[in-house]
Amino acid sequence: MAEHVILFAGPMGAGKTTAIRSLSEIEVVSTEAANSERHVVDKATTTVALDYGEITLGDDDKVRLYGVPGQKRFDFMWAILKKRARGMIMLVNDDAPDAVQTMIEYLDDFRDLYERGGVIVGVSRTDLGVGPGLAAYSAALQAQRPDLIVPVFTVDPRDAGQMRTVLMTLIANIEMRAMLAPAAEAVAP
Amino acid sequence: MNQPIHQDQFVIGEGHAALSGMCELAPSTIYAALLTDDGFDIVHVSRTQTEASRFASMSSSIQALSDAVGHELRIGDSEYVIMGSAQGHVIQLRIPGQPIVLAALFQPHETLGKALSTARLTAERLAQRLPAAASAAMAAPNF
Repeated sequence: MAEHVILFAGPMGAGKTTAIRSLSEIEVVSTEAANSERHVVDKATTTVALDYGEITLGDDDKVRLYGVPGQKRFDFMWAILKKRARGMIMLVNDDAPDAVQTMIEYLDDFRDLYERGGVIVGVSRTDLGVGPGLAAYSAALQAQRPDLIVPVFTVDPRDAGQMRTVLMTLIANIEMRAMLAPAAEAVAP
Repeated sequence: MNQPIHQDQFVIGEGHAALSGMCELAPSTIYAALLTDDGFDIVHVSRTQTEASRFASMSSSIQALSDAVGHELRIGDSEYVIMGSAQGHVIQLRIPGQPIVLAALFQPHETLGKALSTARLTAERLAQRLPAAASAAMAAPNF
């Protein structure tokens, strides 16, 4: 059985915990605490260590799903968990202030994970129609990080089907890059 | 909207008094802090160079993880967490009825029994001084 470890990262309120709950086949391990920053993101609780869930894809692909806290003050958890991950679904909420630049900053923070695996961006809360919308994220990536090949999707973290599609796309992306890597090294000068 | 607990001057003042009292009870205390459940430093007293905000975030994660372990093993929330090392002991526990954690570092020669009883006494005294927390603020842990 093949095993994958996938990280869910992104700012507070983007839907990381919800996405893992949508996907997981086991009871999700959560570490929620009362949120002191209701003026920043108005939700009662926030993740302070990790979320953990599991899902089986196909006959033999087991995926371990780890969510990290969104706040920078917990970046020690980012460092711990990204060591064991092969890929990342980065969720960003479209209605947050400066959401596009937030995506760029998070991608920079997890750049090493992109280098050795793969990353997908999922933009949530686009249905509210108050954010910059999907095209703005792709355009920013092309303009500011043209060396990155990162698919960008709109997602609803509550929708298990959508999240499953994103997860399978990420795993296919990781496996494709792993297959192509030896060929790319062979043609490098 | 309520003021964040880590910016509440009453909580900070009462917390400082409680931590200072703890240092008098146990002079082996190297560092003691009160932090919110979600990792903000409320107040700390220190006899060492420690980055307060980082320590608060880490203590918050440890507290939540210990609660998750308690839930997984069906033994309830953790009452306290102890970390022993050659250079000192860390003890942390919740302030009863508050979304606040007390975390303290003691010198290695201190007995765990005294360190734990001092921390518990401090937590109980502080709980009596603080008004009951709103239920929303006590939403955690949420499995």
